Amino acid sequence: MARSQPYTVACAGGLVKSANSIDLLRTPGVARELRNFEVSIEGGYRRINGFTKFGGASATRPTGSASTINGVIPYADGVIAVAGNAIYFSQDGITWLQVNRISSVGGDNYTAFTGQAIATRTGQGQAQFALFESAGTDYGEIMIADESEDIFSFRMEGTGALNTRTFYAKEIAPNGANATVKYITSHDHHLIAAGVEDNETTVYYSVHNDPNNFSGAGAGAITISDTIVGIRGFRADLIVFCENSIHKLINIDDSQTVAIVSIAENVGCLSGYSIQEIGGDLVFLAPDGIRTVAGTARIGDVELGTVSKAIQPLLNDIARSVDNYVITSMVHRDKSQYRLFYTDTTLDVAQQRGIIGTLRPNGFEWSETRGIEVTGIGTAFNEIGVEEHYHGSTTGYVYVHDTGNSFDGSNILARFGTPDYDYGDLGTLKTLHYLKVSASAEGVVTPDVQVRFDYGSTDTPQPPNLFDLGTIDPPSLFGEAIFGTNVFGGAENPLIRIPLQGSGYSNNFTIISDDSNAPYTINGFYIDFIPSGRR
Amino acid sequence: MATTYLDITNEVLRELNELPLTSANFASAIGLQQFVKDAINKSIFDIANEEPQLPFLSAGLSGATDPFYGNVTVATTAGTRWYLLKAGSSSLADDYGSVDWDDFYLTTINVSGETAPYVSKGLKFINLEDWKRYYRDSENEDDANGQAYGEPVRVIKSPDSRKFGLSPIPDKEYNVHFYAFNKPTKLTAYSDTIVFPEQYSNVITSRARYYVWQFKESPQQAAFALEDHKKAMRHMKSNLMNPTPRVMTDDRRYF
Repeated sequence: MARSQPYTVACAGGLVKSANSIDLLRTPGVARELRNFEVSIEGGYRRINGFTKFGGASATRPTGSASTINGVIPYADGVIAVAGNAIYFSQDGITWLQVNRISSVGGDNYTAFTGQAIATRTGQGQAQFALFESAGTDYGEIMIADESEDIFSFRMEGTGALNTRTFYAKEIAPNGANATVKYITSHDHHLIAAGVEDNETTVYYSVHNDPNNFSGAGAGAITISDTIVGIRGFRADLIVFCENSIHKLINIDDSQTVAIVSIAENVGCLSGYSIQEIGGDLVFLAPDGIRTVAGTARIGDVELGTVSKAIQPLLNDIARSVDNYVITSMVHRDKSQYRLFYTDTTLDVAQQRGIIGTLRPNGFEWSETRGIEVTGIGTAFNEIGVEEHYHGSTTGYVYVHDTGNSFDGSNILARFGTPDYDYGDLGTLKTLHYLKVSASAEGVVTPDVQVRFDYGSTDTPQPPNLFDLGTIDPPSLFGEAIFGTNVFGGAENPLIRIPLQGSGYSNNFTIISDDSNAPYTINGFYIDFIPSGRR
Repeated sequence: MATTYLDITNEVLRELNELPLTSANFASAIGLQQFVKDAINKSIFDIANEEPQLPFLSAGLSGATDPFYGNVTVATTAGTRWYLLKAGSSSLADDYGSVDWDDFYLTTINVSGETAPYVSKGLKFINLEDWKRYYRDSENEDDANGQAYGEPVRVIKSPDSRKFGLSPIPDKEYNVHFYAFNKPTKLTAYSDTIVFPEQYSNVITSRARYYVWQFKESPQQAAFALEDHKKAMRHMKSNLMNPTPRVMTDDRRYF
């Protein structure tokens, strides 16, 4: 063999869809395909976790049938699910209690509450939630807006068995009339409501520290000139997202100076369900991608930034068909992640898509999900302070999000495709010698590698089969390894050597796994190649 | 089992760390794979051109007509000087690759109607110039005037290399035995077999590597491959062609 040369790549930068093939030659660490992977906060690309039914093998559907889950949120020591024109609560995912009932003012015990008449939630749509904690309550009061009827308020007291607890439930009409409400949020100790039926351009805010009162001193409403599609508090201001503009409501506690101030007149928001707060900024889906509402050095000033240029083509597709999608989003605080799912319920579950943005030192780095159908998603801290994530789908089940090694028993097809590497010279033929993959496994994993030469050219012989990466054993660390479970000798970040064959002027690698094995992280590559002429 | 075109192509591809072919995609090979396929044929031709009388290229089993060890027999006709070396061949492309001109043998043994004493002798090869200078005119006169033919004692090669001629022109039917070697056939299908014994397949693969390394612009590797080829060729020839003690022969005894 001629003298071989090395090439090292560290996986960083995430998915890039907005660069052409020549641009990508200069950024070997990014991914041209990153499906069912996430950018790890420690660096590298990690295959995502799966999801499992809330309730495990004994899980039941809240409605008892395949009704679409319109919203889900961890609450108290269980989960609230909005589905089938009703609202349910469950501690275990097996037994569901329908809670859309109107309780006595002083609260009902279990028997009295379950005997109350059902408060209809006809025409239910996507749900939003706002939690109000207050002294003297065990879990706080949760507000639910589901595009059906007034805001529904639910509170539960007691820590024992469900049938020993006290239940408070009522409906709140922001404008005093019985009208549907789409968007709610809490801001500066006020409950904020918008998207109220026949008043789609008005923002309503409750009395300070009294979310049930929209008519007392300190409550109010402000009407603007654009249809509101989302609301969210940001520092001292309330950001009002409209179809074609963005505003902020300032001085909410001062009835003399409360006002709406315009932030942008040419940028709107495509979905209020895309708005999340992460890294001290608000992120939302705009027609030109994921944007941020961020603070500036000047007090009270904000700026709008775009953080999704790397995946602009993906977001253009979403924007073009946003009316066909159910948009949901969440923030995974442990992973510094913003996840947005765009579900087309007419498609098969394997076709359902989403994006994951991980906040890294240089900003957001992106990846895609495929095969996770989400019609409602929620995250919150449970009563012991642990962050929990749940989502629901058209199957009618509630799922524990981001857990397990499979999509509720189905394999996770994960693909991480590198850009083509020219190893510094696109004009020199290179014969690949071997590849070393730096990987960290969280269990026994067996991914494969696909090699494609010259951008998959049909004029270049392409390897017909995948190269076997072998079995990567998880590391066995002193003090952590479990006898009989962990494998002796597993390194923490092993370099797996794969002999390669073939030659081309450039090539890429795709890490592929389609199984229910544990997640793994690809940290980088070392490629040994032999320059083989310039013909 | 004989080495196939697919086997030897893949042997080279693997040596070069390139993707091997399969029986399914062999015919549609592209790029370097096709180049290696071509290089295999080119190498075989190179080897046959360098040494066309390798035993495995023999046109037939020697000694088929015992006790004569030639592998081709041509029956002469009275009054006819020139005979195709390969009966039925229509062009040089189909002719034998090589003929041992130093080993033509004339006999009446096994000729119908002949009885003892038989004619049985080797034919002396003379080049065309000598034949033209010393024999052509007189033999042609004999032929034209009195059809006075004779018992051939010399063999000549036609200028187009397709026929052998006898001098004098035969006066009756004889059997001429000689030794011929085929041209190697160009390999096309994946299952085509290599005529080389498997032991000597490295003579082909090293030559093919020489061409591929040239293609890959690696003169150093090409030089190594060529050296491998020369060494392997030398060993093959030594084993197959020169295993017997060398002797000197005084050809003057034929005069």
